[in-house]
Amino acid sequence: MLLVIDHHNGVPAYRQIMEQVKFQVASGVLAPGTELPSTRALSAELSLNPMTISKAYGLLEREGVLERRRGQTLTVREQHADDLHEQKLEPLRRHLATAATMARQLGVSPAQAIKLFRETLDSTSK
Amino acid sequence: MKTPSPFVSSEPLVVENLSKLFGKRTALRDVSFKIPAGRVVGLLGRNGAGKTTLLDLACGLLLPTAGEIRTLGCAARELESAQLNRLGVVRQEPRFLDWMTVRQQLEFTASFYPHWDHGLEKRLTEMLELDGARRIVQLSQGDQQKLSILLGVCHRPSLLLMDEPMSALDPIIRARMLDVLLERLRDDGCTVLVSSHLLADVEKIIDWVVCLDAGELAVSASFDELQESYAEWTLHSATGTLPETFSETCVLSHEGTTKLARMRVCAADTASEVERFASMYRAEVKSRALSLDEMFPLLLKRRERRAKS
Repeated sequence: MLLVIDHHNGVPAYRQIMEQVKFQVASGVLAPGTELPSTRALSAELSLNPMTISKAYGLLEREGVLERRRGQTLTVREQHADDLHEQKLEPLRRHLATAATMARQLGVSPAQAIKLFRETLDSTSK
Repeated sequence: MKTPSPFVSSEPLVVENLSKLFGKRTALRDVSFKIPAGRVVGLLGRNGAGKTTLLDLACGLLLPTAGEIRTLGCAARELESAQLNRLGVVRQEPRFLDWMTVRQQLEFTASFYPHWDHGLEKRLTEMLELDGARRIVQLSQGDQQKLSILLGVCHRPSLLLMDEPMSALDPIIRARMLDVLLERLRDDGCTVLVSSHLLADVEKIIDWVVCLDAGELAVSASFDELQESYAEWTLHSATGTLPETFSETCVLSHEGTTKLARMRVCAADTASEVERFASMYRAEVKSRALSLDEMFPLLLKRRERRAKS
């Protein structure tokens, strides 16, 4: 599992882990049933306090993204289609909120902003 | 030998109304906090804030003027070999038998500990690139710090007290040093208290912050909680209606104009505060989390504000 932790951006490391795991589950990089590295292994890999890893794992389990099966191993849970759809939209919504703020600050009209988003979608799909 | 207290495993360090005076000078004043087991605590504070005094009190090198400090369940003034065997100390100005070689010093110190881990010693000597054949008197400051770290951890303590252990180490060795600490956490569930001015380094591993300011406790809190409550906001008002000053208690500092303002804030629930500010001032509010370096001066201000109110 490839995670990148920025130690100095002020966002708690456990949150960064949670967001990246959720994103990878939503985008299908982590398929249902995929086994996650142990707390110990991920702590060594990311040079993070094991408590931080277990906090992130625990919260992801509570949110239903991960599940603990047969005692020990933690795996990606099969997601409901509705949940998965929402999980895909959530990070996008967050990015668009930033873009929307910027559009308003710069005085770009909603119509112009939407047109720009459509154009950007078209250019990245080519 | 005393029977170990039942609190040994849950809170390896308990500080209660601790004060220490040197003559008329107050080094610590009425400090109280508890460290739960398995935590990595960043002990922060400016020069002269009382960090070294606190660590010296914790290992019984100094005695309190008032109050109490309990280390591994035992009053620090009465630590015996049962506790000392489980306590690791890395001091800012280590004292060695400096006519010895590195290897001789390691063997000498190891002889006091029944559970000295020679395998760990060998591995760390290589990892930290320390030459066992050199005489201590010839070691650079950085190499002396490495030796001090080795002497502090090779008996695999359950409580490790470190006073500026990395100040003279280069960035590569510092990164390995942090990995060494993390390995001790994973293998031994060790509790670590580390004082350091290298905040960018310690923020990678700490999960609790104790901050001293002029001998008084400014903060003792979980690091996640602090990261989630301190932020920098940028307020942008298209209509130019931002006030000159903000009287809200969550605003710690502020600069800017009626159109664009930047402020440092501290709030229990920053997300809802962002919304409140956005609707109250009809402004766009952009929030950015703060690194430990940026947070540090605000932690000190917290005590000032408390004193004023």
